[in-house]
Amino acid sequence: MNHLMIMPIVIPLLTGAFLLVMYRYNIGRQRSLSIGSTLLLVIFAVWAILQAGVSDYTLYRLGNWQPPFGIVLVLDRLSAIMLLLTALLSLFCVLYASRGSDREGSHFHALLQFQLMGINGAFLTGDLFNLFVFFEVLLIASYALLLHGGGRARSRAGLHYVVINLAGSALFLLALGILYGLTGTLNMADLARVIATAPEADLPLLKAASLLLMVVFGIKAALLPLLFWLPRAYSAASAPVAALFAIMTKVGFYAMVRVFLVVFGLDEGSPANDTVLAWLWPMALITLSLGGIGVLGASSLRTLTAYMVIVSVGILLATMSRNDEQLLAASLFYLLHSTCMTAVFFLLADLIGRYRENGYDRFSVISPLSHRWILGTVFLVAAVSMASLPPFSGFVSKAWILQSSSTLPDYLWLWAPILISGLLIIAALSRAGSGWFWRPEELADKAAPALDGARTATVCVMIAISFSLAIFAQPVMDYLEAAARLIYEPSGYVEAVLGDYVGQSREVTE
Amino acid sequence: MELVIAITLGVLTTTGVYLILRARTFSVVLGLTLLSHGVNLFLFSMGRLTTASPAVIGLVENYTDPLPQALVLTAIVISFSMTAFVVVLALKAAVELRSDHVDGEDPNEDRQ
Amino acid sequence: MDIGLLVFLPVLGAIASLLSRLKRPGPDHVQRHALVALIAPAICLLLLLSYLPRVQSGEALVYSFSWVPEIGLGIAFRLDGLSWLFATLITGIGCLIILYARYYFAGKDTAGRFFVLIQLFMTAMLGIVLSENLLFMLVFWELTSLVSFLLIGFTWSSRNARRGARMSLVITGGGGLALLGGILLLGQIVGSYQITDVLAATDTIVSDDRYPLTLSLILLGAFTKSAQAPFHLWLPHAMAAPTPVSAYLHSATMVKAGLFLMARLHPAMGDTELWFSLITITGMVTLMVGAFVAMFMHDIKGLLAYSTISHLGLITLLIGMGSEMAMAAALFHLTVHALFKAPLFMMAGIVDQATGSRDMRNINGLWRTMPALMLITAVPAAAMAGLPLMSGYLSKKMLFSESLLVTAPHWATTLIPVWVTVAGLFSVAYSVRIFHNVFFNGQPVDLPHWPPRKKPAGMLVPLFILAAASLLVGLAPQATYDSLIHLAVMATSMTHLPLYDFSALSEAQVPAMMSMVAMVGGVVFYLARSSLFAIHRQLPDVDAKNIFEQIMQQSIRFAQSLVYRLENGSLQRYLAFILVAAIAPGLWMLSSYTGWQGPSALTAVNPMVVFGAVILCLSAIGVALFHHQRLPALLLLSVTGLFVTLAFAQFSAPDLALTQLSVEVMAVVIMMLALSFLPQTSPRESGAGRIVRDLGLAGLAGTGIALFAYAVLTRPAETISGYFLANSVPGGGGTNVVNVILVDFRGFDTLGEITVLGIAAVAVFAFTRDLHLKERVASAGTAKGFAEPHPVILQMVSRMALPIALLVSAYIFLRGHNMPGGGFIAGLVTAVALTLQYMAGGLVWAQERMLTHFRPLIGAGLLIATATGLGSWVVGYPFLTSAFSHMDWPLIGEFELATALLFDLGVYTTVVGATLLILANLGKLMTVAGPGQEVG
Repeated sequence: MNHLMIMPIVIPLLTGAFLLVMYRYNIGRQRSLSIGSTLLLVIFAVWAILQAGVSDYTLYRLGNWQPPFGIVLVLDRLSAIMLLLTALLSLFCVLYASRGSDREGSHFHALLQFQLMGINGAFLTGDLFNLFVFFEVLLIASYALLLHGGGRARSRAGLHYVVINLAGSALFLLALGILYGLTGTLNMADLARVIATAPEADLPLLKAASLLLMVVFGIKAALLPLLFWLPRAYSAASAPVAALFAIMTKVGFYAMVRVFLVVFGLDEGSPANDTVLAWLWPMALITLSLGGIGVLGASSLRTLTAYMVIVSVGILLATMSRNDEQLLAASLFYLLHSTCMTAVFFLLADLIGRYRENGYDRFSVISPLSHRWILGTVFLVAAVSMASLPPFSGFVSKAWILQSSSTLPDYLWLWAPILISGLLIIAALSRAGSGWFWRPEELADKAAPALDGARTATVCVMIAISFSLAIFAQPVMDYLEAAARLIYEPSGYVEAVLGDYVGQSREVTE
Repeated sequence: MELVIAITLGVLTTTGVYLILRARTFSVVLGLTLLSHGVNLFLFSMGRLTTASPAVIGLVENYTDPLPQALVLTAIVISFSMTAFVVVLALKAAVELRSDHVDGEDPNEDRQ
Repeated sequence: MDIGLLVFLPVLGAIASLLSRLKRPGPDHVQRHALVALIAPAICLLLLLSYLPRVQSGEALVYSFSWVPEIGLGIAFRLDGLSWLFATLITGIGCLIILYARYYFAGKDTAGRFFVLIQLFMTAMLGIVLSENLLFMLVFWELTSLVSFLLIGFTWSSRNARRGARMSLVITGGGGLALLGGILLLGQIVGSYQITDVLAATDTIVSDDRYPLTLSLILLGAFTKSAQAPFHLWLPHAMAAPTPVSAYLHSATMVKAGLFLMARLHPAMGDTELWFSLITITGMVTLMVGAFVAMFMHDIKGLLAYSTISHLGLITLLIGMGSEMAMAAALFHLTVHALFKAPLFMMAGIVDQATGSRDMRNINGLWRTMPALMLITAVPAAAMAGLPLMSGYLSKKMLFSESLLVTAPHWATTLIPVWVTVAGLFSVAYSVRIFHNVFFNGQPVDLPHWPPRKKPAGMLVPLFILAAASLLVGLAPQATYDSLIHLAVMATSMTHLPLYDFSALSEAQVPAMMSMVAMVGGVVFYLARSSLFAIHRQLPDVDAKNIFEQIMQQSIRFAQSLVYRLENGSLQRYLAFILVAAIAPGLWMLSSYTGWQGPSALTAVNPMVVFGAVILCLSAIGVALFHHQRLPALLLLSVTGLFVTLAFAQFSAPDLALTQLSVEVMAVVIMMLALSFLPQTSPRESGAGRIVRDLGLAGLAGTGIALFAYAVLTRPAETISGYFLANSVPGGGGTNVVNVILVDFRGFDTLGEITVLGIAAVAVFAFTRDLHLKERVASAGTAKGFAEPHPVILQMVSRMALPIALLVSAYIFLRGHNMPGGGFIAGLVTAVALTLQYMAGGLVWAQERMLTHFRPLIGAGLLIATATGLGSWVVGYPFLTSAFSHMDWPLIGEFELATALLFDLGVYTTVVGATLLILANLGKLMTVAGPGQEVG
């Protein structure tokens, strides 16, 4: 039993709790604690990657109870990838926030750590109700972080975000109830086993439950028509928070992969997930198209980025819903790229906004800005990567997705929106860039504040990651393919989790 | 019996949903509370309902299904936290947006 | 590998130039930059020349390295006749352009930027022509779009530059995306992106049913890049760039990339009906449009731009015809065009700088002041016109003779020859004009600088070289063709060809006549120009840039309106969407479902339960009905909560009953407090339609829940709970199974749950800290309840109640593991008791008397719980493994001292801390102590 595996959950929990006990700590100590814990998370995530590479499934039986009775954590390549992505992303967010935005409200770092606990828990747990609990943890933390800094826009967006997600939680509980009522179990592997052998009469009900779950995860992942809270929430949040939120929609995506492809996908013959996937495909495509339109119509860089998030969600869900191993691997690669780049742009919007005399990140405002050359170059490179032009990870991932989807009968339905939205993104970004860096006069340098090296460096490093993701694409792809292969072998998952457990000590109570 | 319970759950949900669709934060909070009542009862009833058989070993001879109870207990606590949170948030929003309408006085003021 | 070196040398050069920029710009800095920038291209050129023998031996040198084999993307280079020809043009002309720019940018400090970008661009172009892997080629393809964007926007302070840059980026970038699609399809068909494999798979490609789509997408890419109609619009506006840029990118090299691609893929995809019609027609249209518009351009660069377009169309047309000879003509003319167009642009630049104008209505008779320039320009101008003995004459004749050879389809046989003759006529006209108009044609008309500024003689060197080259080609076509172009032609047809016979060409009669017609007609046209201009002025003049901008604006406005309409900031709308999404699919699927009634029999109806249920329903409905009167609604809500509690109690869930009860109290208290700030009533604002809609949604939702509940309840339960009942005592050391599940079997859930509670409290603290409730919210009625001074009785009662309450909670806490109770309920009871103190005494009173730092309490609780979990590591068990031992306590009786108890202590602490923190901060908002200082 390898205790390292629970670290991604325990470390942030301890850090957060400790920060509460030491609530009088000055900001400096809070920062160093928070950064330290996030660094630890990165280390453990790397360990997880290696561990998952060695053995397909690593289990952690909490309370030492035999699954499906106790809660079990399952580490496989997919969850390891998500852990690493989260850890890296949060590290950059913490670093960026530590330049000042964490002082705009209280307990930023504690809340951020709790958020991380929730996210990591959601990636690791092998129990559906436990997934619900971790969703609540990451949600409540995200509510708090969204409101961090105060102000009207945040209150409004926050209220909407909270109410919508409360409704979502209610739906989640309903779905859980139906599932438990029909299967009498909560462990994902066990659920998969029971659903695969469910009586014919129950199947429609189970599928209905899966549709409810689609809505629940769809709210998190921002699937049309459940995504309208997103643009305002993300553009209202303070930069590092918004950047961290880039991973939140991916949590929804991850949950869909786990639940729909594994829990509902065990029975290869007639999998119970056919209905939900059939619904996902068109909705995801519309999401993608709407995202592209939104990118073009956005009035500020943050809004534009928020719609970029929607575009990426559309691509991810569309590819996932086609139920193809190769395609899933491709979309996972795209997930890495899009998460990284959307985060970059949320930070970039803030960074540039700070050095524009007025208008912050609005396109309508023509304002002199300082440090034109440095900021302009960073923006250009970032934009190239975001528009998935070569030689960045976006290009590779898009090429991979298009390639592996071209074997589908209806691949054009996916190709058209992807390519067209790509064009819209180029148009929007070129407008933004030329309007900001070519139009206005240089701000007199004495009037200009000095460029914040740390913030800029953070952004640059993230872009560099996107670049190196393209350079070293092959090993990453191999890993992702292995991850996707595991997802499409649910029987292996069930085998690994349940082991020798064969429905013993289950009794029928009339 | 099952029918009665089913109907009760239906009514709770209906009223709850109707209220969260209202325009004022307070009504929405009421709705969320009703909804969570409904959902908790639903989850609870998924363990099938038996009277006078609490899952306390040695107290009675046959026990009800304890698991849903545990789940519901967790759910209650969480929904309590959420309610508390959303109530205070509603207050904050009402003050800052100059109205207790869920969208504030002017929904699009921060879009220009 | 040194082919790869060819591609990446300019990058190094660019870096070098970048570094040389760091040095402070001195008087000679342009000189320095130019020299630095010249190194890399020069080396490239030499390398290429050194390759010539091996290329002439007919072999295609291919080097490939794997990069991302997963998607077939490899670093692969290919040097054969075709790529050699292009590469030589790119580097050769590139060197001359840099030479020219050294004077053009003299004294400008933007020079450094230019030299960096131009070398980057050279890399991109070389990458395109030297790539063996099509995906790899795409990398450079997009790079050219990008760099050309930066170069067109070079003088970004000018609006035209910005717009032109954006336009070209969007058009060529869009083309690039199409090309990506096309190449991916091609790769799927062939199974490889290596050009060698693609060229070997002609039959597979042409016979594949994806061929039409593939070809169209690829051509879309090529056409946008090579400014074929209707995508030619961006090219004239690219003239906002400095003249060296126009000379290089927009005449000699970049716009040839599309032609290169077509020529490159011709063996694999050509010789089909589709290929012929698509490309030939596009080429014809472009040829004519370009030539026609060019005649009426007054701006020298504008004229040259449109003439470039028409020549590109001409070459496209030839490629479309597709026969080997047509290919020969195409590549020959491509070379010729590069050689005469670049010097003409350079001339334009010199004239522009010298006279300060580019308008041919003003620029006249420069031969007096610039005789040398006139003499040099005569050659390329004549070549463009296609005068005898000139290179242009030959290539045009080749075109004419090819046009006569077209046999199918029937529409083309006569149309094309006529068409090209007319176009040729136009081209003669504008060629004559640019030369005669600029250098002769009377006196100049009020030019900004007159007499023109002296330009250094060195500026003429590159022109001279190019003009000489073009002259040479005209004089020795056969030699040029055999040594340089023939290989390229073979590469585009993949067959071994006989050499092109120029002697035969010179004997050909009909083409000669056609060009005679063109020449005579052209001159006539030019002489009649004034009247033609008059006619042309009648025509509405369309500015492509404005059209483009309008289209952009339109689409943006459309996007905005659509997005605003959908995402309109109305929570009710969003929630409705979500409900529909939750209901509709289920409805769709289950509408025909019949299995709601499960196998097991219905249980007898218990009147008492029914009674309870009825009250529950009534109170819930009451809440919905009276939600406008808020206090009554709240009271009714608590009734609902009470009966939910009773339901739990009735159906053997004592723990739930206790929890629900204490939670209910708390929740109601909190809502009361909040309500005292909110308006006491809400206005009735939703219209009937809205209410009906919502009722419909709500009804559907309710029905759904009811059906699901019924369906499940009428089915036998088969659950894993047997295990819990069996192992609760032996494994968990507690007889209250629910509690054992909470703290042991599923203790992890509980840990998460209290974390949520803790975070909620901290969050409330965080966002109420800066909240000031100066006056009650707009339209609020009179405050009720707890805002008033604190009633005496309440104070006494509460103070007496406190110790008892604490005792009770301790008892509940301790027995929890065996009997209903436990840390959570105990915590809430304690919190309730303490809260009473608050309400009674008020915050100030409370703060004086008891601990009011709740955040550390929360933290401590979480730490205790987590530490308990970690404790089990010591004994080598996983997180949260419990251990217990029995012992007898006075009063409470025999019970287990389990680590679970410690865990429960954590729960207790967190609950107390969290609840009090929330209440305290809510209370803070109203106490006289008021906002300002932190509470908790």
